[in-house]
Amino acid sequence: MGMENELEAAEYMKSEDLLTRRLADGDPGAPREMVERYHAELYRYAWALLRDGSAAEDAVQEVFERTFTALGRYSKERIEALSLRPWLYRITLNVARNAWRKSRREVPVAETPEPDTRFGGASGSTSGTESRESWMDALEALGRLSERQRVVVTLRYIEDLSYADIAEQTGWPENTCKTLARRGIGRLGVLLSGRSDGEGGS
Amino acid sequence: MNGEGSRRFGEERALGLLRDAGKHLGAMREGLVERALTRGTDRLFTCDSPLGEVYVGVSERGVRLLGRAASPEEFARRYRERFGRLLSWGTDESTRALARRVATALAGEKVEVPADLSGTTPFQRRVLEVVKGIPRGEVRSYAWVAREAGSPKASRAVGTVMASNPVPLVIPCHRVIKNDGTTGNYAFGAEEKVGLLEGEGVPVSELAGSPYLATPTTGIFCHATCPNARRIKPENRRRFRSAQAAIEAGYRPCRVCRPAVAG
Repeated sequence: MGMENELEAAEYMKSEDLLTRRLADGDPGAPREMVERYHAELYRYAWALLRDGSAAEDAVQEVFERTFTALGRYSKERIEALSLRPWLYRITLNVARNAWRKSRREVPVAETPEPDTRFGGASGSTSGTESRESWMDALEALGRLSERQRVVVTLRYIEDLSYADIAEQTGWPENTCKTLARRGIGRLGVLLSGRSDGEGGS
Repeated sequence: MNGEGSRRFGEERALGLLRDAGKHLGAMREGLVERALTRGTDRLFTCDSPLGEVYVGVSERGVRLLGRAASPEEFARRYRERFGRLLSWGTDESTRALARRVATALAGEKVEVPADLSGTTPFQRRVLEVVKGIPRGEVRSYAWVAREAGSPKASRAVGTVMASNPVPLVIPCHRVIKNDGTTGNYAFGAEEKVGLLEGEGVPVSELAGSPYLATPTTGIFCHATCPNARRIKPENRRRFRSAQAAIEAGYRPCRVCRPAVAG
């Protein structure tokens, strides 16, 4: 199992290297793939930093804009030497810092109201924030599955692909994919009830 | 709740949340990917042309680079070195619309294609704007372009600008020929230039050595490809090697094609 994860980690590094090489070579499909590959995790990160959905979306968009602009000016060698993911995270943090600074300037005195907790908080509440937190929790938990489980669960339940398509994309047998999905969902159930307010606990 | 029941409950909750996440991310991604690509990169498409398949790189302002390349990667690298921008495939609606427009124009129809000349010097831009206005089926000399661009002595520099034209065909530098009526050089090869001009109906071999036509009925001389010159009856055609020679023979320049006299 540990061995398998190491291999998967190596595999992931390889695919990241491949993407930087494609960017360096000028592959016109590479910028889109970069957005598709990283936007979800950067969104989670930006959301964690900014605690606001639309601010997080704006931030992610700006991150990609900035990285593309920078990549346009970099030499082939410099792009090849990049560690894409840490670089993207660093830029996300910078963008979030600017957003903090800007929001402080825009709201000089009037404080944003504190959430009203007098009536016992979340019970029965279905505010947008809470439901967003829940699906963000699900994404976060998804990140804690093994690579193979995560890939299959993502393709099946987030991308909504059929098992036949998943098998074709991953090269894994269809039954293996079904097993990975079942185990992945089982594990997610445990992870999510562990962090919910005691409801799923035994 | 028994163990089995709580397990199922957890799994169902997980599934529901994943579907929420999928819906939200899907909606967000559609907009985000295109917006990020539109703002952060310039866009690329390929297009059929009289020179075969060409790659076309466009900014938000218009066509910025057009040319042949061994691969999209090679073209995109050249673009990045020249303009400092990444190229991504033009999958958005506005690039698709521009691609259709370029294809129509390169097929010979008269449609306006915006060109982004922001990477050029003011002189280059003036020259390229003049050349952009030369109609299909007509040719002009380097000296004429120089004069129209406001630098009558710069016909050699005009040749240099033509050689580095970033958007051939969109800006028809193949319609600029030598002062003696021979076709001269072309970035894609002298033979390609002849082929392009013949394809547009230019009588290339007739022009060589006599790029100007005059008629005694009006006393006017024109570029031989000017629509007015084409209306002159064969028996009235007087051919001239230079505008100067036509003037000396007592003709005055056409007001439509404005032949350049001495330069």
